[in-house]
Amino acid sequence: MESIKIYLTLFTTSIKARMEYKASFLFYVFAILSFYAGQFGLLFILLNRFHEIKGWSVGEMVFLYSLQAFAFGFTNLIFSQLVNFDKMIVDGEFDRVLVRPLSPLGQVIFSKFEVSTAAHLIIGFTALYFGSCYANIEWTLYKVILFPVIVTGGVLIAGGIRLMVTAVAFWTLRNRSLVHTVIFSSKEFINYPVNIYNMGMQFFLTFVFPIAFINFYPAHFFLDRSGAGLLHPSLEMGTPIVGIVVITISIFSWKAGVNHYQSTGS
Amino acid sequence: MEQNKIAIKVKDLSKDFDISESGRGFSGKLKALFYRKRKIITAVDGIDFEIKRGEFVGYVGENGAGKSTTIKMLTGILVPTSGSAEVNGIVPFKERKKNAAKIGVVFGQRTQLWWDLPVRESFDLLRVIFRVSRTDFLSQIKKLDNALGLKPLMDMPVRKLSLGQRMRCDIAASLIHNPPVLFLDEPTIGLDVLAKESIRNFLAEINRDEGTTIILTTHDMNDIEQLCKRLIILEEGKIMYDGETELLKQKFVHEKVIEVEFYDDGNTIQGIPGVTVVREQGCKKWLTFDNDNYGIGEVIGTIASRYKIKDISVNEPSVESIIRNIYNNSAMLPTT
Repeated sequence: MESIKIYLTLFTTSIKARMEYKASFLFYVFAILSFYAGQFGLLFILLNRFHEIKGWSVGEMVFLYSLQAFAFGFTNLIFSQLVNFDKMIVDGEFDRVLVRPLSPLGQVIFSKFEVSTAAHLIIGFTALYFGSCYANIEWTLYKVILFPVIVTGGVLIAGGIRLMVTAVAFWTLRNRSLVHTVIFSSKEFINYPVNIYNMGMQFFLTFVFPIAFINFYPAHFFLDRSGAGLLHPSLEMGTPIVGIVVITISIFSWKAGVNHYQSTGS
Repeated sequence: MEQNKIAIKVKDLSKDFDISESGRGFSGKLKALFYRKRKIITAVDGIDFEIKRGEFVGYVGENGAGKSTTIKMLTGILVPTSGSAEVNGIVPFKERKKNAAKIGVVFGQRTQLWWDLPVRESFDLLRVIFRVSRTDFLSQIKKLDNALGLKPLMDMPVRKLSLGQRMRCDIAASLIHNPPVLFLDEPTIGLDVLAKESIRNFLAEINRDEGTTIILTTHDMNDIEQLCKRLIILEEGKIMYDGETELLKQKFVHEKVIEVEFYDDGNTIQGIPGVTVVREQGCKKWLTFDNDNYGIGEVIGTIASRYKIKDISVNEPSVESIIRNIYNNSAMLPTT
């Protein structure tokens, strides 16, 4: 309980520090919104020409997109500090994290919050609304309860992957390009239903780099779709379990990384 | 009970670093992308020591001797390659959080404070992180303010402080939870004489009044001479001296230097037992004598009885020159 109070204090302090630079904050929100507007536009143009992709209608695709936007939105909100983590290692800033009586990971996460990433969530809600309308989703109580569970599972998957990639910096020092490839570029794979890819790719996105669990598999449940390709009915609900597995592995790799930390000279 | 008197216990402690070398020039760098030569560097090489509660210990050595690496192992930042270490009976790298609650750490090169926040808010945050009650916090801040003059700095953002001001705040920050053991890694680096003096006075005071155990690494031998009763000298990861700072002189100084100015420069100093001339400059001469076998009074008496002396002084070697001498293993000459 007391640690929660400590983290809350760290959190409010990080916001205060962030507010010292208001203009950069607003630019960031603007950048995110224009990025998503572009993605949306592209999606609509594609769908206007083809009406559907591999049996997925416009509305269904938009819903797919909303699950992705929520998962990555919350992940960006919570784990935003991890993107610049290699700087903490290179500068030896991580030293001071280790001499305080709090969990190092908790301190890193709460040391800076990118509140502006909340813009991702605006997109999530917009896509959810239009997706539900166009795809005629029937929101039963069961679905309403499971939606946040699936989003949480998605956050654990996306956040776990991010944490694992971050921990690589303990060995390689700089890993910015790896972070950008794995974290930012990879999510493009799940802008579209995964069954448009060949079997090898589907297998990869399911069992090796399991981001298909963020939106593709659970979407079948919400859209009452029967599956295609790799889909087995039991995978529909696999998201929370996969999320727990991924985050557990990532925490172990983080801890191994902390023990491998070499600090800087003098 | 004996156990409780020991603050730090280090046994056969070692730390290796795995350094990968990148090649020279463009082609070398290109080669390094595919194949890296790995090199193991032993920064700390099987050291042993014990520090009792209330001791003030200087931990010195050249750059790269392993001082900071030792401190980082004792504060839980680095995991040792082998050997054991205990601080307040806690193994630092195994129970990092527990250890952190009972030590204070100051790195001269790097601030512990939040760069963009006023000092006051950094202190408040540390109070919460170290779970210090508000009443304890207020009395501690009052005490620190009295000694370090923090009041005018409290509302300034850390990035606007001068180096000396920042160091005072950093030292105060490390003591908010009133830790029994304090580690200082080059706290006086880059400071002017006055700032150094005020920090030294403060450190001496908390060591005396609070009984805080202090381990200080520094390159400034004045810090050591004024503060540390005990000195540990490190060279290439090994301890080469561990004992009283005063005894260092007895152990390593077998010669003393006398600076004599005569009225005329034609004197040849010869035939005084134990004395050799090491340097001449006009009427001034520097002589060394073996102080294990000859008394200083005897030597000066002989010189004064034979020659006309304008001025004479005996140079007590500084700890710095002794240490430099240990490193270089060369004759100790006065530097003028």
